[in-house]
Amino acid sequence: MNSPLHTPLCDKLGIEYPVVAFTHCKDVAVAVINSGGFAVLGEALHTPDEIAADIKWIRERIGGKPFGIDLVLPSSVPAEKSVAELLAMIPQEQRDFEQHIKQKYNVPDPKIAPNIHVWGGLDQKRAMDQLEVVFDERVPVFASGLGSPAFLLKRAHELGIQVWGLVGKPRQAKRQIEAGTDVIIAQGFDAAGHTGNIGTFSIVPQVVDAARGTGVPVIAAGGVTTGRHLAAALALGADGVWTGSLWLTSRESDLNMPLKERLLEAETEDTMYSDCISGYTMRTTRSPWHDEWMSDAAPEVLKPPLQMILSSNYIQGSLDYQRKDLMTEAAGQGIHYIKEMKPARQILSDIVEEALDVFDRFAG
Amino acid sequence: MSSTASLGDAPLGQAPFRSGFDAALTGLEAECDGGGPLEGTHFAGRQYFTGRLTGHYRDFGPYPWRWYLLDSLTRKPDGFTHDSVWCDGESLYPVSDPAKSIEQYCKTE
Repeated sequence: MNSPLHTPLCDKLGIEYPVVAFTHCKDVAVAVINSGGFAVLGEALHTPDEIAADIKWIRERIGGKPFGIDLVLPSSVPAEKSVAELLAMIPQEQRDFEQHIKQKYNVPDPKIAPNIHVWGGLDQKRAMDQLEVVFDERVPVFASGLGSPAFLLKRAHELGIQVWGLVGKPRQAKRQIEAGTDVIIAQGFDAAGHTGNIGTFSIVPQVVDAARGTGVPVIAAGGVTTGRHLAAALALGADGVWTGSLWLTSRESDLNMPLKERLLEAETEDTMYSDCISGYTMRTTRSPWHDEWMSDAAPEVLKPPLQMILSSNYIQGSLDYQRKDLMTEAAGQGIHYIKEMKPARQILSDIVEEALDVFDRFAG
Repeated sequence: MSSTASLGDAPLGQAPFRSGFDAALTGLEAECDGGGPLEGTHFAGRQYFTGRLTGHYRDFGPYPWRWYLLDSLTRKPDGFTHDSVWCDGESLYPVSDPAKSIEQYCKTE
């Protein structure tokens, strides 16, 4: 009898287990790939040269196995903005509130100030420059973590590159499937970062229905941290799971140790869907910054990227001086189940075994 | 490519684009499932808009990657101070028929 974990996604990628690790850490990606899973490296923040170097580094360690690169494609850009205009737009009230938080919690200044002078108006250019590396290197899988990849499908397919799209609404899935996207990642509200507002249990079967008969595999994302989640995702009709928070505290992860400890201590209620970090709503772990901006005394949260300009010094200061009490990171609601720092290989093995136990229980 | 398109003047640091205008789109009410990367971080965020297309568009790169200008915004994120927003064409949904693509309303290619 075939393994219940062997799905069309496994055949499409030539992998053993239908578990996709989304990570910003090369070591995690390599460990997961070499353990039978699949990994997508998030490179949205990197320059084209850095992306090319990372691709080379990974290829040297995985012996021809496939891997993916994730970029963030913008899908909306304000009509005009400049850095000087943005800085001038931060009201004194919000500046004063930032200083209040800094003094109340003794937030240190960052060792090197975040470089805000490269911000603003670069959205399409940055994405296009990064995409050229993906094309030049013929990366096996390109994943668009936000925004539709429809415009690049023809060129990618001519180069033999699979294109994956991450969606937060069923209509986005239908549009991308019609355009020819190879794999759809259905991301629920439980997820870290920029989630939609539909829960994982609701969006996954809707996207599966949209993909029915097309041969397009669907991957479930949002709150997936255990083998029970994997089994449930497959029961909903998904062909695999997309996991992110799961790997943040792995041995291989390059997050600093106090932040790993903070994440291991975090509970589901500690992940907050808030716009106080960036001005965009996103799920991050609770911190004094969140508490203050949710208090009655807080002024109005600013629009992107003004709020990020305010929060960036706080975040960088907490990391530079390893202030666990101040730290925050994007993490999903499944964080409750992440309690140990384990090697990536063991994390994957534990998920697989637990999922198989679930299927055995139902079969027997 | 549109016959009305012309080379646009890209601000410093931005990708060059070709500008165009399609009168068939002017006034069409649309929703944008928008968002983008957060500068200086590895995070990204979603933003949702509703407004009316002006008919102006921009084509980036050889693909091309087409963007439309959405104006007269009736829905935008809290604190979003701009009156208009450029939206990726594939992320736009006509309010009257979200199953249709914007391209299906275009007179130009």
